Amino acid sequence: MLPYILRRLATGLLMLVALSMLVFVLLRLAPGDPIDAYINPNVAMSQAEMDALRARLGLDQPLPMQYLAWLRAAATGDLGYSIQRNGVRVLPLVLERIGPTILLMAAGLVIAILIGIAAGILSAVRRNSPTDIGFSVIAFFGISSPAFLTAILGLYLFSVVLRWAPSGGMLTPGAPFSVGDLLSHLILPACLLSIGHAALIMRYMRASLLEVLNQDYVRTARAKGVKEFWVIMKHAVRNALLPVVTLIGSTIGIAVGGAIFIESVFNWPGMGLLLINAVDTRDYPVIMGATLIIGACVIVVNLLTDIAYAAIDPRIQVA
Amino acid sequence: MQMKTLTRAISVAALLGATALTTSVAAQEQKTITGGFDVGPGGFQGNFNPLAATGGFTWLNVYFEPLVNYNADLTAIEGALATEYSVNADKTEYTFKLANETWHDGKPFTSKDVKFTVDLAKNGETGTVFAARLNAIASVETPDERTAVIKLSRPDAGLLASLTKLMILPEHALAGTTPKELATSTWWATKPVGTGPFKFKQYVTDQYVELVADDDYRLGRPKVDRVINRYFKNTAAAVAALRAGEIQFTYVEPDDVSAFKDNKGFKVIEGQSFVVNYVGFNQQVPLWKDVRVRQAVMHAIDRQAIIDSLYGGAATVANCGYVAKQLVPEGLNPYAYDPAKAKALLAEAGWDKINGSKPITWLTYYNTPQAANVMAAVQAMLAQVGINVVPRVVDTPTYNGIIYAGNPDFSQFPLVYAGLQNGPDPSGLNIGLNAAQKPPAGANFLRIEMPELTKALDAALAETNPQQLNTRYQDVCKAMNANLPWATMWVANRYGVASTKLKDFVWVPAPAGGPYNAHPEKWSIER
Repeated sequence: MLPYILRRLATGLLMLVALSMLVFVLLRLAPGDPIDAYINPNVAMSQAEMDALRARLGLDQPLPMQYLAWLRAAATGDLGYSIQRNGVRVLPLVLERIGPTILLMAAGLVIAILIGIAAGILSAVRRNSPTDIGFSVIAFFGISSPAFLTAILGLYLFSVVLRWAPSGGMLTPGAPFSVGDLLSHLILPACLLSIGHAALIMRYMRASLLEVLNQDYVRTARAKGVKEFWVIMKHAVRNALLPVVTLIGSTIGIAVGGAIFIESVFNWPGMGLLLINAVDTRDYPVIMGATLIIGACVIVVNLLTDIAYAAIDPRIQVA
Repeated sequence: MQMKTLTRAISVAALLGATALTTSVAAQEQKTITGGFDVGPGGFQGNFNPLAATGGFTWLNVYFEPLVNYNADLTAIEGALATEYSVNADKTEYTFKLANETWHDGKPFTSKDVKFTVDLAKNGETGTVFAARLNAIASVETPDERTAVIKLSRPDAGLLASLTKLMILPEHALAGTTPKELATSTWWATKPVGTGPFKFKQYVTDQYVELVADDDYRLGRPKVDRVINRYFKNTAAAVAALRAGEIQFTYVEPDDVSAFKDNKGFKVIEGQSFVVNYVGFNQQVPLWKDVRVRQAVMHAIDRQAIIDSLYGGAATVANCGYVAKQLVPEGLNPYAYDPAKAKALLAEAGWDKINGSKPITWLTYYNTPQAANVMAAVQAMLAQVGINVVPRVVDTPTYNGIIYAGNPDFSQFPLVYAGLQNGPDPSGLNIGLNAAQKPPAGANFLRIEMPELTKALDAALAETNPQQLNTRYQDVCKAMNANLPWATMWVANRYGVASTKLKDFVWVPAPAGGPYNAHPEKWSIER
């Protein structure tokens, strides 16, 4: 196992280098650099002034030299400074944004799981009833509504019209920290993030439960006189949950994408907002640093998953 | 059992949700004004170093101050940290009498701080954007603590306008940091020390900046305890926060104005943008060499109809780079909307041979819905006379990357839709129009070489007699109107919306956010 892990880690390291090279090249191929992003076109600046700023940032160096300088520093854990934020180091900047993104994603998924499973059970148990049809219609809307639309409509309805929740940010500016304040800012983006996932989970849960309810062992349980409630909860739901759990696992990746969009609408200070701002301003070191850390996380998680599979299922040969 | 657990889980979630939904925004005990002061075209998010700022002066000027500043009408330059100033006869020596003020950390503000700041601003290692603008300054002398004398190597009519953007910095706090380190110093965003009416308290990354009142401010303690600048990813989010009552001010897009105009809870602030919008002709492509083609473009576009229908009348037709009355002479060609004349001019110039109906890329960085409508209208009007333009909308870095490329591909921007600052200092147009300002020297990226215009601009820049200055810029206007380096469109108004709870609040949609004397110490808010 140890040689396998070491081999995978070495491969992962090479993949990170390749990833950083790819991102570096793609960034340089895109038109405009940090200085171009810095200039307000309505308030012109001479090219000579721009060139002086480029020289100060080392952007006038040949690309291979720029990349090697970045790579050499990154190897020592120094991801450099943000170009557009005075003196802010990239590594702590990126690390401090991971927490808010995980919080938003986790809250969104928990809400989606709770609502999706509960609604799925009710729909299946009351098949073809008004409840089932109602939940199904809502689910179809949830699945088919794009994230940007639900986010903006939700913001307008719940923040502007009803004023149930703040319109953005993670905490009230200038107010002392409190869990209530954090929750009040979290609840709306988390709920909006959960809509699509809850709808999907509800449909899967309903379909899965309906299939299970027709199984022989469910019929047997009923024949033995077990109360309907227990037949459903103890015998049917438990088995119906298996494909739903698989679905939930696979939607986590989609949730990252959704979180990035929700973050930009609600100004939630997570990785998504950081990356979008960095791309908008061509903040190369932040884009490189954030991509590297996200890439490292994916590689480590994949490795851990493979190791876990091998540990659980002896048929899988990892070596 | 499982049902019980599930029920419990749902109940806890519902309770948490209900608690969160009903938790009101924390009550603010202190008098606080919260706004989106860096929203919109004048804003500048993320960089707090005033030496490197190309915008965001509305906010920077709340805690830093320049020596001199524009008044709130942007019609004149008046004192700020300098209570008065005088200029010698040949305009090479400016003497500033300084206010009796202390820095936010209690240390006295002196003329040495002025010298220190100017020296930093001229030192390229600091990441300054002032080096070229201040290159006429030969030295700064400090005969006493309350007097600073700026000596020039040659007269510079734009010096005072440049000084309005130069925020004075504390020598005692920054002298220990090398100029190079200053460029990446965290000081700017963590513990900056200024002389303005409010003191820096904290910056929460990408969320907000909090300032607190400076009790010792020379013009009196501010009327509110705190001012908070919230950052928003876009204007729509700021408008939502304004309508939700979370902030009391933000810049808004023209399309949003109607939603606030009849609302008694808000006051719409309207002002000139000081940015002239134009259709720019790239002189490196053969399409626009003949002035009759450029004239045809002017005659083909019904500018007033666009202003009436798409700007709600809130823009002024520009027949040259200026619309300010004192800069616009009598007798300009108004280039009235006349498609027949446009067609005739194109026929005379041989447009069929020059280009005919082949598509012409029309590059812009304006990406608002309003700009899209404007460009669609202009595209249709030009198509009517036989000019086939195809808008290409890109983000600002891409636009700048294309037009300022070291070896530009001119076919990517044969025509642009852009804007350039034309006030309050009218010399702002020089960098984009003077033949001497072709890259790399300046920002004349369309490579305009029109001797009459260049001569007029040079004369205006060299003019040291304030009484003659307007006449010189009228000559610039005349030359623009006759030569048409651009098809000038209009100067549009911009808008801010403030809660009616705000009292004595001053905001002007100045280019780059100003600065101007907004007197934040007078701002107040009803509880």
